[in-house]
Amino acid sequence: MKTDTQIESTAGATPAADAVTVDDVTFTYHGAEKPALTRVSFVQSAGEMIGVMGASGAGKSTLAKCLNRIVPEFEDGDFRGAILIGGERLAQLRVCEVAPKVGMVFQDFESQLFSTNVAHEVAFAMEQVGMERADMNRRIMPALEAVGLAGFEHRDPMSLSGGEKQRLAIASVLALRPRVIVLDEPTTDLDPEGRAEVFALIRKLREQGLSLIVIEHESEELRGADRIIVLREGKIVADDSPRAVFAKTALLEECGVRPPGLGRALKLLGIEAEAESVEQAHGAILEKYPRLASVAGADARASVEAQATEVSATGAALVEVENVSFSYSGPRVLDSIDLRVEAGDFLAIVGQNGSGKTTLAKQIVGLLSPGSGRVMLSGKDRASMRPAESAREVAYVFQNPDHQIFAATVEEEVAFGPRNFGLPDEEIKRRCDEVLAAVGLQNERQSDPFLLSKGERQRIAVASVLVLRPRMLILDEPTTGLDHREQLRMMALVRDLNRSGIAIVIITHTPWLVAEYARRVVLMRKGAKIFDGGVREFFMNDALLRSSSFRPPEITELSRRFGTLALTTDEFVEWAKGQA
Amino acid sequence: MPIYLYIDRGTFIHRLHPTVKVFALFIMFWSVYWVDNPLALMFPIGVLMLWVAQLTDSWPNFYRLRWLFVILIFTTTLMWMVFYQLGTPLFSITLFHLSPHAIRLPLGPFARTIGWGGRPVMLKITWLSITFGIGRGIKLAELLAASVLFLSTTKIEEFTYGLQRMNVPYRVSFAISLSFRLVPLFIDSAVTIVDAQRLRGYDFDAGGPLERVRRYVPVVIPVFMGALRKANNMAMALEARGFGFTREPTTYIEYPVADRDRVAFAVLIALGIFYFLLYYTGLGGIGPAK
Repeated sequence: MKTDTQIESTAGATPAADAVTVDDVTFTYHGAEKPALTRVSFVQSAGEMIGVMGASGAGKSTLAKCLNRIVPEFEDGDFRGAILIGGERLAQLRVCEVAPKVGMVFQDFESQLFSTNVAHEVAFAMEQVGMERADMNRRIMPALEAVGLAGFEHRDPMSLSGGEKQRLAIASVLALRPRVIVLDEPTTDLDPEGRAEVFALIRKLREQGLSLIVIEHESEELRGADRIIVLREGKIVADDSPRAVFAKTALLEECGVRPPGLGRALKLLGIEAEAESVEQAHGAILEKYPRLASVAGADARASVEAQATEVSATGAALVEVENVSFSYSGPRVLDSIDLRVEAGDFLAIVGQNGSGKTTLAKQIVGLLSPGSGRVMLSGKDRASMRPAESAREVAYVFQNPDHQIFAATVEEEVAFGPRNFGLPDEEIKRRCDEVLAAVGLQNERQSDPFLLSKGERQRIAVASVLVLRPRMLILDEPTTGLDHREQLRMMALVRDLNRSGIAIVIITHTPWLVAEYARRVVLMRKGAKIFDGGVREFFMNDALLRSSSFRPPEITELSRRFGTLALTTDEFVEWAKGQA
Repeated sequence: MPIYLYIDRGTFIHRLHPTVKVFALFIMFWSVYWVDNPLALMFPIGVLMLWVAQLTDSWPNFYRLRWLFVILIFTTTLMWMVFYQLGTPLFSITLFHLSPHAIRLPLGPFARTIGWGGRPVMLKITWLSITFGIGRGIKLAELLAASVLFLSTTKIEEFTYGLQRMNVPYRVSFAISLSFRLVPLFIDSAVTIVDAQRLRGYDFDAGGPLERVRRYVPVVIPVFMGALRKANNMAMALEARGFGFTREPTTYIEYPVADRDRVAFAVLIALGIFYFLLYYTGLGGIGPAK
């Protein structure tokens, strides 16, 4: 049995040694044709923070799993090359033996908490390696303080918010004092507040000199890293400072990575400088286009007013939520909500987790019944409608496509709904063809849905409700867990559907999604609707944004500094060129 | 929806040593097992459970599971009343007459005739069948109640620890306690999946009982796939936290043995012996002692 002193000695790093050395690693999963990683090499010095980016399937997670031997110990395959942690080779070690050296934090925070009490959760890993109780006691409080959870010792981890859960997971690996901490998309499933918490913690850990490897989709969050590694099909295609990497906008887009909006804007404006913040971009633009400094703010207000009329000029009411209140058991989850969705609307419902967004959606589709008030679909009380009727009015795409997929083929999965409603076979066939073409899966008809990518499964989920030809579609977090390319594809699909006349309601945490696609925003807070209006109006309302910790996209912030309001990079560039 | 039954209170039951709690659960099961008589099932063990529930504030959990209790007691009582046929009838009803039938089975040297019917099929209710039915209802309710009380007052890690102390290997005891954590997660996802399929027009209530079971396929498959994925994630996270590093992990939480544990242990032993004696002397049964 290993003793505590041995663990201490691995943790007490000699500062000169490199934290991680990945030496010519090639890995092919068992049964796969192509390698998941091909000749990957890099060295991380102690105290360095490396961001890893790339599309789904580019090998990011595989790389992370190599670092603690989950690959190839746990996930079988052909592994070549070598990995060294603090100068020590990992070959032949079991995953649990690497645990004291490499701390791993996963995306699915619920699967990495095992205890009913926060302090004990932190102790869990230390128990596993056989540490003495006195040592555990010495380490628990510092670990909790480091992640800002001091005072939470006796809480049940399940009662914490997503951000707190993820910070607890980080504390529990911190307690082992590993050489390096690897975070594999730690914020993908979190709301904006949780994301902000976790990234603030990552910055803090970095300042304290911890070696970090962070896999992340949003480039803005990785600005503070020392280096960015971009993977494409298992190969490193870029390994440089964030400034240098984010300047390669074309390469990033090719790799399915969303380049920071600011960099792209500068490039389109013909400015060679790099911007690491909104201020810098503002300065750089003013340098090249001094005339922009004198543009007055009247412009922005005018565009907001123009849009206000645009929003109200729509058709008949599809959904009318009238004074609906609801509670599960306890406090009100919905408090006197009124909401009207009209034909052709594109509405985004935003708000923190627990603000009542999903509950509101469930009221509309009929999974819940109002405690008081009523929901009308096309002028009829929903309570009096049969499922077959209401399904033709409004459909709901759940956040996780795996909560509905069960059939052996894509086609069968899509045909499930119409079959339940007893449509004739030819009609089902015709509709399946139609929707599979619409979601771009016509060639996957006979594929097993479980073997497709997350993005494709998400599109199957959309197809499988679209096939019922609803007049309105509600999508709960349709882009969560998708890479940038898949996100764009998903949203292009949603936009097309909207243009074909289907009203769209998306529930989302992603600011740029709201800015680029929605026309109207509803902000929920503690079960109440506190804003309902045009997107521009929403992003103009600083007090509201601040109080709901909803950060507008950087490009919108930048445009505000020039006294205008642009929702997308293209819109801003067009405006700037027009003014200058 | 809160997914655990554990209710955090500082009562002396909560503070009992985990091993004593696991032992208490065992003794509850043991005691209830040996007797059939409703009186013996109520005194002292039924009353003891009520007292513990009151003391530990566990009523919310019983309230949450109220329908399970009602259905369990009601159906078992009724079923056993009907099927238990001993004793002098209080009343009896003729349900239907079956005309006599006979079949000759041509089995060569073993050929024989089987006959049935010719007598009315009776529903006979006796004092004994009523007592037995009620006893069975209470018995099942008490088994369930013992588990609810245990889970209301025992944390998962205490459960693991208690099992370990009873020489169950760490891996086994951890797996047991982990399954407690997983079940509520799966129930949660099953609820979502039912919603999703219902919105696609699926009717879970169509058809007879067998057909209804079959109709849950569109729920079972996603739950199962999700469980596999979750289990895989969890296994990775466990190993990444050092699970398996040593065969005998240390424990962070200390469980000193106090006087209350010794007293509780003695009381439980006495209770166990008492119930075994009730069985042994026949006093815990129904009807005449043997």
